[in-house]
Formats: sequence, C-alpha cells, structure tokens
Amino acid sequence: MPLLELDGLSRRFGGVLAVDRVSMRVAEGEVRAVIGPNGAGKSTLFNLITGVLAPSAGEVSFDGKRITGLPAHRISQLGIARTFQVTALYPEMTALENARLAAQAREKGRWRPLGGGATLREAAERGESALARLGLGALAGRPAGLLSHGDQRLLEVAMALAQDPRLLLLDEPTQGLSVEETAQAVETLAGLFAAGGVTVLLVEHDMEVVFRLAERVTVLHRGAVIADGTPAAVQAHAEVQRAYLGGFS
Amino acid sequence: MTRWRAALSPSNCALLGAAALLALAPFVLPVYATTLATEALILGLFAMSLDLMVGYARLISFGHAAAYGLGAYACGYVLLHTALPMLGAIAAATLFAGVLAIGIAWVCTIATGVSFSMLTLAFAQLLYAVAFRWTSVTGASDGLAGIPRRPGPFGLALFDSRTGFYYLVLFCLAAGFLFCRALVSSPFGAVLRGIRENEAKTKALGYDTRRYKIAVVAIAYALGGLAGALYAPFAGFANTELLFWLLSGQVLIMVIVGGAGTLVGPILGAAFFLLASQILSAYTDSWALFFGLLFIAFVLFAPEGIWGLLTSRLVRPKARAATPDAAA
Repeated sequence: MPLLELDGLSRRFGGVLAVDRVSMRVAEGEVRAVIGPNGAGKSTLFNLITGVLAPSAGEVSFDGKRITGLPAHRISQLGIARTFQVTALYPEMTALENARLAAQAREKGRWRPLGGGATLREAAERGESALARLGLGALAGRPAGLLSHGDQRLLEVAMALAQDPRLLLLDEPTQGLSVEETAQAVETLAGLFAAGGVTVLLVEHDMEVVFRLAERVTVLHRGAVIADGTPAAVQAHAEVQRAYLGGFS
Repeated sequence: MTRWRAALSPSNCALLGAAALLALAPFVLPVYATTLATEALILGLFAMSLDLMVGYARLISFGHAAAYGLGAYACGYVLLHTALPMLGAIAAATLFAGVLAIGIAWVCTIATGVSFSMLTLAFAQLLYAVAFRWTSVTGASDGLAGIPRRPGPFGLALFDSRTGFYYLVLFCLAAGFLFCRALVSSPFGAVLRGIRENEAKTKALGYDTRRYKIAVVAIAYALGGLAGALYAPFAGFANTELLFWLLSGQVLIMVIVGGAGTLVGPILGAAFFLLASQILSAYTDSWALFFGLLFIAFVLFAPEGIWGLLTSRLVRPKARAATPDAAA
C-alpha cells in the first residue's frame, strides 16, 4: 500500500486549471521529486495535499485513509510535515525556539496553559537534535530572522524533522540559494535521506538537485502529469524536453 | 538551588519591590490618592488583560470595553438584585464575561487582521446598544447606581473600606499578573507567540490556531471582566460609558504606551494614562488632544513603550555587548 496516494486531484482557480487530474502513488521510504516549469502547479499540489487548499475534484489518501478536505492542522497531526517555497519561520524567536515549537506540536501537553515545563523541555530536546542533524547546532541561540538565507531554509527543514514526520514535503528547499549554498544544502539533505526512515516528496526546479536527491521523478506541466519514472528515464522523455527546453505543445 | 536563583532574579526582585511599595501605599498616600491608585490598578488589570491578546497573539481588539462593561454590569446587577456578597458577585461577573467571550471569539476569529478588529468593535457596540435599550436590567442611560459593597461571606467585611478595597484590587492585579505570566511562558503561550509571528506556519505545524485564539480571547475577557467587576463596586455605578468605543481605544493606547507583550508595561501604561489625564485635565478641557500628542510621540520615538524605555536603560546595553554579532 502506498503511503501517499493522489487520485484524479484537480484544482481550478477561476478559469485556470492549476492542477489537472493528478494521480500519483508514493511508497513508504521513497524519495520522490515533483518537477516542472514555473506555474506547473507544484506548490498548488502541496497545498492540496496539506489541506491549505481544498481540491475541486479528486482524492488524497494517506496511509490508506482518505484525508481530502481535512483542515491543515489535522493533516499535519497525521504525520505530514512540510516546508514552504517562501521561507516560513518565526523571525523573532531563536532557531531553537522555532524547532521547539515545531516539536511541541507532537507533544501530548502541547496546549497546556499553565505549567508544562516538562513538555517544553522535551520539545526543546527534540528540537535541539533536529538542529544538530542539519548542522545548525551552533546557531541554536540566534534569532531566526538573523540567520543567512541558506540557514533559514535548513532551519525550516529542521523544524519539519523535529516533528518526526512519516511524510516530509519539501517545497524547493534550495530556492534562492547561491551555488555554494545549494551544493552544501543538497549534501546535507542527501545525508539525511540516506539515513532513511522518512518518506520524502520534493518539489524542485533545479534538475541537478533532483537527480542528486530523488529516486523517482514525476513531471508536471500545466497542472498535469506528463511523465513519471527514474531520473534517467524522465530526462530522456521527449515531452519533458519540450516542456523544459521551450518547445510548444 | 537553581530554582531559588531563578526566583531571586533581578526582574523578580524588582517586582517584589514594586508589590511591597504598592502594599504600603495606603499608609503614606492621602485619601484621594488611594482612590486614584485603586482606579489605576483596576485599569492596569484591564490593560494587562488586553495585552494577552494584543502583545502575545497579535489579536488587536477594538472592542475590549465589552469585557470591562460586561463585568461591571454583571457585578452591579448581582449586587443590586441578589443577596450574594461582593466577592461572589465579582467572581460570577468574571466567569460571565469569560463564558460570553467564547461565543464572541468564536465569531470574531472567523476573520483575521483588521476584520477581526472590526468584529470585536461590532460586538462592543452591540453590547453598548443593548445596555441602552434593556432598561429593566441595565437601567438604560441612567445605568446602575448605588451598587453596594456587600460584606461576606461569613460577615467578612475586610474589603468594604477604602483601604480594604484597595488591597482587594491589588490582590486581584497581583494574582492576575502571576496567572498571565505563567500563561505566556507555558506551552500554550509558546503557541500564541507562534500565531503572532506566523499563523499559517503554526497551522501547518499542526496547531488548531483558531482554538488557541478563542481560548486566549476568553481568558482576556474574563480578566477584563474582573477589572470591570471591581470597578462597579469601586465607583458604585455602572453606565454605558464602560461599553463605549472610546474606552476600547483608551485601553489599547494604555497597552501600546506601556509596551505591548510585556504584561508589566500595560499596567504602567494605565497608571500613566490616568495620571496624565488627571494632570492635563486640571489645565485644559481638551486634555485628550494633548494626550494624543503624547501617544503619537510614543509611537514614533519609543515604540516599545514605557517598559521598553525602562528595560533598555537597564538591560539592553549588557545584552548587546554579550552578542555583538547579533545586530549584523
């Protein structure tokens, strides 16, 4: 049984079909990339999976259960963590406080209005280890808003990891990074994925990043899936080349 | 050991000192000043309750007078029409404001940002209109007059006198402050700060942010209601002015001038507001104009408020020296 299954998922904005009958299965433990040119509907697809947007048609299933139409926080609580295309952090909190708040969401005492010191300590420990896994340990006490752009992107991944997710959705993790920062981030992520234990769905723009990280690639063009396969197979695909190399269909 | 050290931190010592000074105040202050101080503490509690929403969850209410008026009218009504002692009436009014706030917050949190603020204002104006029309309960434009400070339970008459009432208010403020401080440093408080800085992200992390917002509004209304419930037997009356938008604006100014998101700041802001209005109104009828100028000066030159000014003198230089690269 696939961990994540999309079945005929569509989303219409006025007259535009941003996501067009997308069906896809992601197996447990897989690292899957979704690629496509700008405006192909990649981020909309993430928003449909995570409940930020409601689909116009189709179904999303996670771990065999239908999750279409659930609110974002309920979907998150099922074990789906995401990062955003435009970095979403708490700029005035320290890196550790960011990671702590992410970890706290998975604690039983997360809502406690009084006391709750044990909850906060536990969450801080998990946040700390997530920061360490992404090499951010030394920056734990720094306000997130003062980190470099590259470290901010990694902090968002650390926040997702602090939630110990079953499915990790990364929306262009190297977006806006310099060449060196990208190379560094890709190595960090590759090490993370190699350690296993988490299923990853990755939206990416940069083909080199995709080929380094993903085992399987799904290509979106104008909201629809036009190819699906190993990175090598997808690269050789005629339609993909047209979509990327400026051909008209 | 560490617990003791934390308990004796400079900020705690300062707070203890302030509490001791306030406790001694009735012995040194002239009579009228004790009355004024009582009112300042009531307003301080009111402003602090709004700070929970404004400073910690960035829920800007334009209608916090609703909480104050609800508390005042409820307490006044109970004291006038039942045999419940004052302490019971105050507790009941606090609960009443908090419970009613759940419904109000449920509606207001459908919206966010400015729309949220306008909805809070709409509810306050609605209650204002109700207070004007529901003569049998609210006394319409006359309001409720002659609200007694009924002693009890068990004939306990400690809080009826001017000084006794001052201590009751001081106790409520201190308890309210300790409660709020525990609240904002709890896991719940951490989520509130998350909502303040990035609500979409907080939702994505798995928090049902609307529930947290409803909860904090209910708590803020209950504490604001407590302030109003103290005001009714303090002044001996409750009228529609306590529900008027002007008061909502004034309490928001107290929070901003005092320093939002600090709890202590808004208490100082309330005292400052009351004192400034007393002093300015001795010279001119248009004192609000001059206070407005003061407010503008604060927003422009000291956006962190009175508390920000005080702490930046004492604490900031050290913090800056400790992390020189933080500013880069």
